[in-house]
Order: sequence, then structure tokens, then C-alpha cells
Amino acid sequence: MRPFRLPSGQVIDETTATPINERGIYLAILISFDIDGTLDVGDPPGVLTMEMVRRAQEKGFLIGSCSDRPISGQRAIWEQYNIPIHFAVSKHQLPEVKAQFEAEAYWHIGDREDLDKKYALEAGFEFLWPDEAAEMPWFVSEDSHGDP
Amino acid sequence: MTTQNAPASMYRTTEGLGVWDHKGKVAAVGVGHSPTARRWDGTTEHTLGANSILALRRAIEDAGVSPDQIDGLVLDPVTTTGAHWEAGNAIPMDVVNAYNPTDDPLDGIAKLSAEWILKNMPELTNVKFTMYGPGCMSHAIVVAAQAVGSGQTNTCLVLKGWHNLEGRYNQAGISAADEVSGTYAIGPGRTIWGPPGCYGTALQFAEYCRRYGKTHDMMAPFMANSRRNGLMFPEGYWAQHRPEELTPEDYLAARWIAKPASLFDNDIPIMVSAAYLFTTAERAKDMKQKPVYILNHASSRGTSRSLTPTLDEVQAETGSTGRKILEGAGISVSDISFENMYDGFALFHQFHIEGLGYRGMKFGDALDFYQTDISIEGPNPVLPSGGNIGSGRSRFWMHTDCIQQLQGRAGARSVTGVKPEIAVSGGPMPMGGNFTVWSASPD
Repeated sequence: MRPFRLPSGQVIDETTATPINERGIYLAILISFDIDGTLDVGDPPGVLTMEMVRRAQEKGFLIGSCSDRPISGQRAIWEQYNIPIHFAVSKHQLPEVKAQFEAEAYWHIGDREDLDKKYALEAGFEFLWPDEAAEMPWFVSEDSHGDP
Repeated sequence: MTTQNAPASMYRTTEGLGVWDHKGKVAAVGVGHSPTARRWDGTTEHTLGANSILALRRAIEDAGVSPDQIDGLVLDPVTTTGAHWEAGNAIPMDVVNAYNPTDDPLDGIAKLSAEWILKNMPELTNVKFTMYGPGCMSHAIVVAAQAVGSGQTNTCLVLKGWHNLEGRYNQAGISAADEVSGTYAIGPGRTIWGPPGCYGTALQFAEYCRRYGKTHDMMAPFMANSRRNGLMFPEGYWAQHRPEELTPEDYLAARWIAKPASLFDNDIPIMVSAAYLFTTAERAKDMKQKPVYILNHASSRGTSRSLTPTLDEVQAETGSTGRKILEGAGISVSDISFENMYDGFALFHQFHIEGLGYRGMKFGDALDFYQTDISIEGPNPVLPSGGNIGSGRSRFWMHTDCIQQLQGRAGARSVTGVKPEIAVSGGPMPMGGNFTVWSASPD
């Protein structure tokens, strides 16, 4: 399992989504998912399964999608898989997500240099490619012994 | 048999030609489509060529003719505008040799010749006339109509196929080359070094909004209506693969590609082929489907003073095109039941219909018109096919829809607010395209 270091420097060695900050306040970690080329329901399919996303959601991460798909279409996918989300936005709307949600860290996962990494970094998000993200502890089930 | 591009004399490009000599004497009868896909999956079964053969056979079957009755084939040999084969990429010879190849191994994969079709459809034993209408289905249709009208062929297949490859559109092959000739590199949408394809249209639309006091947001009802219509087009990409609406909220939240053109003002490139069977009005009477008669075809060949046409140039050209369409058909604009002008880019659809004067529109009226009932249930249907917005980048949904509507075979997409009697379709560009007037009756 990869060590998970937040931008603040705090190292998380558990799979919790809610580290305690220096003020003693629980803050979630926000994860934004691209869809096509990132999630297994995308076109083309990506390496992150909806079950992995569900695990992160159940652990308390703030999750949502940031895709070029129509917003109503994004919501429909999440509804189809019965995964509650906090946001569904277009590619250029990550700054609005960051403004709307207070989180310990902001991550975007996507498969495109120009449309995912560029927008994420400009919005102040950390960025992961899908295969990098798949190794993160966020998606590990409690009884999987580290297997995502 | 060496197939040539249609000569300029086959196109009706100027005003003042009078009523088309062959008005009502040529009919579309059969329609065939392949399934759609986002991209070629690399298999033998799903090549451009395979799709095209399937579409042709379906059109033949739909018309209820035997293959040996067919004596003509008109098609567009160019099967993409932006999915260019990378020069260094290996060509899958197992796929090539699964068919009867021509001298060009990419034939049937990333381009399509009449020779390849005839080599791979042995049932077409009687084809004596082949011709290219290069550009899109709109070109091929007018060439086929003229050829049937003038007696060069009696029963003619009309074909348009599209391929799409892995990777991004307009970013491979010649589009990524370090050196290209002339002004190719700086034309919109041609290479990764130039502006996006929608750049020119975006400039014209920006000037349109400034001149008439309109906004990009006013496009939203048109976009939602087009996708709605497309989702009722079972042959289309969105209906087959991603049956999702494009709500005004979705449209207005899209990122800019070339402001004021947003992501959804551009279409989605796909794999798909379509074919129609044209014949003489006399022969059509004995075929399986109701004939749809061609009253006229007209072509636009506008030239601009610079690389990007101005709004004034666009309006002058679409106005002229509208007059040619009506003059050659011998009708007035009030005779048109519905319009299916091209929409890929969405922001130029209004140039086409304003030039035509659809429902009495003048320049600057269309976006206000979009705020009224433009649905298929209303009295003023706009783009009942849904076009490229509704079904993906093919440039032929508009033609299929006209034929199906006038045959009474448009299913859930049928226009109900008007009686479908005369329709017009065509494109692609406001400054250059080919247009057809279709009718349920020959006169």
C-alpha cells in the first residue's frame, strides 16, 4: 500500500477519510473522479471500479465527478449505482467545488494531461492518474488486507 | 472501373436556373444504417468497410429489390474529417486481407473506394455507373439524384461511411505533422497548431449576437430539443449507447472550446455508415417502401475574402442558397413542412434556416424562434432529426429523417404538429454545401 501524505504533511497510515486537523476538527478528504478513461463505467473504461468508489464514499470521503459528460448524465450514473455524491461538475468547475467544500485535501483523478491534470492543478487540487489512484488506501475495504 | 469525382456540371450552384429538369422524377426508397460505435475496435467485423456493406445490404432489403437490379453506386470516398491514420502506425493486414482488398491497404479501414465496395459485394453484378460525391452524404445525394434524373443510372445506391480511430480528433496523422503545405495548418480544426474547428463559426456567432442583441444561452432550448429528437432516433449513437438528455443546465455548464462555442456546440465523432436506394419515380412505384420524391437539389460554393468568412459573407451565401433551394423546387418557403439543415457546429444551424427563411424568419430571428415551441409536436418543428447533436457526427441523420418522416416511418420521432409533405435537408457549411428538397408527392 502506498503511504498517503496529505498536502499539509500529515501522513495517513489508515484508510480513514477524516483526519483530525490541528484545531481538532474532523475534515474529510475530497476526491473528484473523471469518468471516461478513469472509471470502469467510462468510455473507454478505466481501472477504478464503482465498487472502489463506493468504498471511499462509505468511509466518509467527499466524492463526486468532474467530467465532460453532461452534468445530468453524471448524476444518472451515480444514481444507477446507488452511490451518493456531493458534486457533479464540468471540467472547468473544480474551483467552484473547492470553494463549496472545506476539506483536508482535494484530489482529482483523471486520464488526460490537458483536461484533467491541467485543470486540477490550476484549481489547487492534487492530481493522480487512474492507475496511481488505484493503489491508494482510499479504495481498500476494511477486510481486504490491503488489496484494493 | 475507375471512379471519378462528380463534375461541377452535376451541381446546381447558381440562382436563376429555374425549376430542376428532373423535379419529382427521382425518388428515395430504401434506407439502411450500420450500428454506431464511438471508435473502431480493431476487429474485422466492425471496420468502416463492414459497416458500409451492412448499410448497403439493409438499404437494398428495405427497398425490396434484388441486388442485380442495382446499376449505380455513388459515395464519398473520404470517411473522416479528423481521424487521420498515423503514417507510422502498422496497418493490420489480417483485417485488410479478410476482405478483397484494393491496392490501398487502408481502403475499407480509413477510406472507402467504389472499387472496394464492388470487390466485397459480389451480389452487385450489374453496377455500371460509379461516381464520388466527395465531402459528405449531402454531396453524394445530389450527385446520385442528378445521375438518376439524367439517366446515367436507374437504380442507384448512395453511401456515406465514417470511421473513427483511437485517440483525439484532429490530433494525429497530417493534423500532427510538423510540416504541412500552404495555409493548411492555420485553418480551423485542421491541425493541433491551428485554432479549434469551431473557431470560425464561433467568431460568426459572436458577431451575430452582438449585431442582434442575442446570447449564447438562447441556444439552450434548441440543443435540448435536438438531443431529445436524437434519443428517438434508434439508429443514432446517443440512443444506442448513452441515452442521456442534454438539458439547458448541462449545456450552459459546458466549458468553452472557442468562446462563445462550448463543448456541446461540437459533435461527437463516431463510426457509422448509411445508405439509401434511389431510383426513378416510375420504378419506385413497384418497390417495397413509399417513394420520397426529390423536387430539387441545390449547392452552395461560397468564397470568403479571408480564411474565416465574415457574418456578412455567411448571410449572403445562405440567403442565396435558400433562394436556389426554393426556385429549383418550384415552391415557396411556406410549402416546407419542416427543416433538417445541418448542425455540426450547432452555432451555425440558425444561419442555414434564416437564409432559407424558414417560417418567415429574417436574419437575427432564429434565437428568438428557439424560445418558442420548436418540438416535433408543434407547428414549427426545428431539426426533427436532432442532427449531429442528437445522434453523433454523421452529417446524414437529417437526410434519413426527411425520408423516414415522409414515408411515415419515423416512429416516436414523427412530426405531429404539421403534416409531413415537403422537407429540406443539407449542409454542411453555410458557405459551402449541398441541399435537397424531399416530397411525399412528385409534384
